[in-house]
Amino acid sequence: MRFTGIPWETLGPIAAVMFVLITILYIIKLRKRRIEVPFSPLWNSILKQSSKQNDLWRNLRRILSWLFYMFIAALVVFAIADPHFNDEVSEGRHILLLVDSSASMAANDVTGGANRLDIAKQRAREILKTMGPDDRAMLVNFNNQLQPLSPFVTEASILEAPLREIRISATGTQYIDALVFASESLRGKKKGELILISDGSGLDSSLLKSLDIPKETTLRHLKIGENGDNIAITAFNVRRYVANKLDYELFIRVQSYFKRPVNAQIEIYADDRLVDSKPISLSPGKSFQKFYPSQAVSGERLEARLKLTSEDARDFFPLDDRAYALLPKTKQTRIQLVSDGNLYLEGPLYLNSNLVTTTTAIADYDPSIPYDITVFDRVALKTPDAGNFFYIAPSGEFSPWPVQKTMNDPIVTRESKNHPLLRWIGMKTLNIGAADKWTLSSKDKTIVSSALGIPILVTRNDGDKKLVGLSFDVRNSDFPLRVAFPVLLINLIDYFAYGDGGLMQSFRTGETWSVPVSKSAESATISVPSGETSTAPVYEGRAIFNGDEPGIYEISGEGFKTIKIAANLSNTFESNIEPSNLELGEQDILRDTSALIFERSELWIWAILAAFLLLIVEWWTYNRRKTV
Amino acid sequence: MASDDIFDDAFLKKLDYLYIMSQKIVAGSSRAERKTKLVGSGLEFADFRHYTHGDDLRNIDWKIYARSEKLFVKLFEEEEDLYIYFLVDCSRSMKIGDELKWEYAKKIVAGLGYIGLSNLDRVSIIPFSNKLEGRLPPARGKSQIFKIFDFLNTLEAGKETSLKDALKTFVTQNKRRGVAVVLSDFYDPSGFEEGLNFLRYHKFEPMVVHLFDERELSANFRGDLRLVDCETGEVAELTVTEGMMQSYKKAWEEMSTQLQSYCSKRQMLYFRSSVQVPFDELILKIFRAGGFLK
Repeated sequence: MRFTGIPWETLGPIAAVMFVLITILYIIKLRKRRIEVPFSPLWNSILKQSSKQNDLWRNLRRILSWLFYMFIAALVVFAIADPHFNDEVSEGRHILLLVDSSASMAANDVTGGANRLDIAKQRAREILKTMGPDDRAMLVNFNNQLQPLSPFVTEASILEAPLREIRISATGTQYIDALVFASESLRGKKKGELILISDGSGLDSSLLKSLDIPKETTLRHLKIGENGDNIAITAFNVRRYVANKLDYELFIRVQSYFKRPVNAQIEIYADDRLVDSKPISLSPGKSFQKFYPSQAVSGERLEARLKLTSEDARDFFPLDDRAYALLPKTKQTRIQLVSDGNLYLEGPLYLNSNLVTTTTAIADYDPSIPYDITVFDRVALKTPDAGNFFYIAPSGEFSPWPVQKTMNDPIVTRESKNHPLLRWIGMKTLNIGAADKWTLSSKDKTIVSSALGIPILVTRNDGDKKLVGLSFDVRNSDFPLRVAFPVLLINLIDYFAYGDGGLMQSFRTGETWSVPVSKSAESATISVPSGETSTAPVYEGRAIFNGDEPGIYEISGEGFKTIKIAANLSNTFESNIEPSNLELGEQDILRDTSALIFERSELWIWAILAAFLLLIVEWWTYNRRKTV
Repeated sequence: MASDDIFDDAFLKKLDYLYIMSQKIVAGSSRAERKTKLVGSGLEFADFRHYTHGDDLRNIDWKIYARSEKLFVKLFEEEEDLYIYFLVDCSRSMKIGDELKWEYAKKIVAGLGYIGLSNLDRVSIIPFSNKLEGRLPPARGKSQIFKIFDFLNTLEAGKETSLKDALKTFVTQNKRRGVAVVLSDFYDPSGFEEGLNFLRYHKFEPMVVHLFDERELSANFRGDLRLVDCETGEVAELTVTEGMMQSYKKAWEEMSTQLQSYCSKRQMLYFRSSVQVPFDELILKIFRAGGFLK
C-alpha cells in the first residue's frame, strides 16, 4: 500500500492529537449530569425493573462507543493519507493541451455549450480533472498566433483560470506553428500526450507532412463541431470611383458554404439606418458580389448584415455575418486660380461641387495663403516650399521650367497612357497653336510630348512640392472644347489631393495593422469594438497594433484627431467551418480521451464513506441506548 | 409585612373570601360548638348508664328508678373547643426547586388556620421532617392570624421525611385530641402508614393533604444522569428515557393511589392536589368534603 496524500511525518502527530482529543471528549461525554430529585426510591424502583443487563455488558457497550469514534478517526486519517495499491500504475505523463480559439471556434453547431470553444474548454477541463498525481500538464492557446498559457505543471487547478480566460479571436488558424511548438515542447519528455482540441476547420493536412512528432508522444485530435453550414460576408469595402474619386462605391461579396442552394438577404446599414436590402440566392459553394454605386453620403459608419432566409437552413457561424466599413468624409479641395481671367479654366473648376475655387488676380497673389492646389494661368510666381501647383504656359523668373523657345503647331505623338493624369483621356489629337519648349530637370517626368521633343505635360516631385506643367496656353488650342479638358482637371485634382490609392480597404482581423496617425505621436490609444482599450506604439507616424475583433476601432492620441477604422474577418478559410480530422500520414492519431483518463483506486472515498456509515451506526446505537 | 411576603394584602383578601365561603358551606352550625365524644357536663343529653359510687347524685334519673327501682345516671355530651393541628412537612423534598410545594403548603395552612381561628377553634401548627421542627402553640381568635403568618415565615427547611418518628413525637406531646391536618408530599422512604396510624390510635382525626408538583412528574431531563435524592443524598445513576419518565409517573401514581386507598379504608379525609392548582380551590374542596368545618 502506498500513500500519496499528506506525509505520515505530518499526519502522525495530527492523528495522535485527534485520538487524544476524541478520548478526552468521550470522557467528558461519559460524565453524567447531576440532577437533584425529591424522592430517589421511586427512581430506584424503576431502575430495578428496567435494569436487566449486568455491569460488564454495560461497560463493554461504553467501550464500544469509544471504539466507534476511534475507528472513525482512523478512517479519516487513512483517507487523508490517500492510500493506493502498490500495483497501481501512476507514472507521470506530460499532457499538452492545444486549444484552438480561432474564429471558426465561434460556430454554434454544438450541443452542451454556447459554441465550439465552449465545448473545447469543457473537454480540456475534463482531461485536467483526470490528471494523476504525477502527471504534468501544459496549456497552449492558438489561433493565427501561439500563446502558451503555462509551463508543465502538476497542479491542474492552476490551469483552470487561464483556460477560462481563453476567448474567441476572429483570426485564422496556424495549425503548423501550434503543432510544431507542441511537438518540440514534448520532445524528450516521458509519456507525452499531445491533445489538439480544435474543429480542424481550414486544416490542410498536406502541409503537416513534415511534422515530426516525438515517438513517445501520443497524438490526439478531439474534433469539435458537427456542421459546416454557413454563409459569410467575405469582402466588404468602400472605394472611390476610378473616374471620380470624390464619390465612393461599396463592394460586398458573400460566400455560401452550404451543400445546397439557400436564400439570404443582404442589408446595408448606414449609421444603424437601413439603407439597402437585397434578397439573394446562393448556389452551393458559390459566391455573390455586388457594387453599391454613388455613395456620396459623408462620414457614415457602414454595416453589412447577412441573414439566412431559407427556413430549413441554419447558419452556424454568426461571426462572419456582419461586416463593417467607414466612408471617409468627403474632402472639399481648396483651389486657387491665379489668373487675370480664363473662362475655360473657371468653368470646370467652379462647376464641381467638391471643389472650392478662388480666383486671384496675378497682382493680388499671396504665397503665404495655403491652398490645396494653386493653378497659375500663363504666369509663374513665387511659391512656398510645399504644395501642389499646376502651371499653364508659365513664364518669367519664377517659372519652374525655363522657356528655350516657342514652337508653333506642335504635334503630340507620345503620351504615358498609364499615368493617372491621362486616365480616360488622350491628347494626341489636340490642335495646339503654340507650345513652349522647356528646359527640363532630372526631377521632371514628361507625360505628353510632341514629335520634336517638346514637352506638353510635365510632372515634378520636388520634396513636399508637387508640380504639373502644361506648356501651352489652352486658349490657343482646342483643348477647352474637348471632353478631355475637364477630365484632365479632375485627374489633376485626384493626382494632387488624393494620390492614386482609390480603394478604402477595410482591415482584416488577425493581422498586424499599421495606421497612419501623426509623426509627433509616441503612442496611440486603441478602443476595440467590445469597448476595451489598449495602448499601441507609434512608429514613424504609424500606430502598430493587432486586431482580432470585427467592428469599428477608434485610434486616439496626442497630436491627432481620433481616427476610425473598420475591421472584418474576411477570411474564407475561417468561414469554412466544416470540421475536419487531423491526418498525418502513417502517424496514429487518437480521436477520443478514453485511454487518457487516469484510472486509480480512490480508496480514500471508501474510507470516508465507511467513516460516515460508522458515524450513522454510532448515532443510531447511541440514540437507541445501545452504546450508552 | 415584606413586599415579597406570600401573605400579602391580596392573600388576606382571599382568606376573607374563603371565610365567607366557609360560612355558606356550613350554614346553621354554631360557633365553637363542637360535640365531642366525651361525655361530660354539657347540657345535651347523651345516654344513661348504671350508677356507680362516686357519681354525682344530681344526675340520677329518679323517674327510671321509680319505674324500675334501678339507679341510672344521665350522661350529657361534653362541649369543648376544637383543636386543629396543622402538621406541615418541611423536609427538603418540599423545598426542592423553587419551593413551590412549600409555599403552597404554607398558604393552605394559613387559609385553613384563618378559617379555624375565625370559628374560634384552637389552631396549632407543628412543622416536621424526621422530627418536630418547632411548634406554634394553640391560638384562638382571628387576631392570631398574624402570629401564624410570622410563624410560617420563619420556618426553616428540615432534613429527610420520617412520618413515623415525627408523628410519634407529636402524639406524645399533644394530649388534647383534635383534627390533625397532615400536609406533605409523603416522600417517606419508610412509608406513611405507621405515622398516620399513630394519629388514629391516639384518637386524633387525621386529614391528609397530599401535595405534588406536576413538574416533577413531567421533568424534561433525559439521558445519562446521576439522580441525587435531595433529602438522603442517595445517588441513582441511570439513563432517563421517555419510557422511564412514563414509568416514574406510573410509580408515583401507584404510590399516591396506595396512600389514598389507605386513607379511604380508614375513613380519613384525603386530598391530593397539584401545586399548580390555586390553593383556594383546594381549600374550598376541603370545605365541601366536610370534616374540617363542623
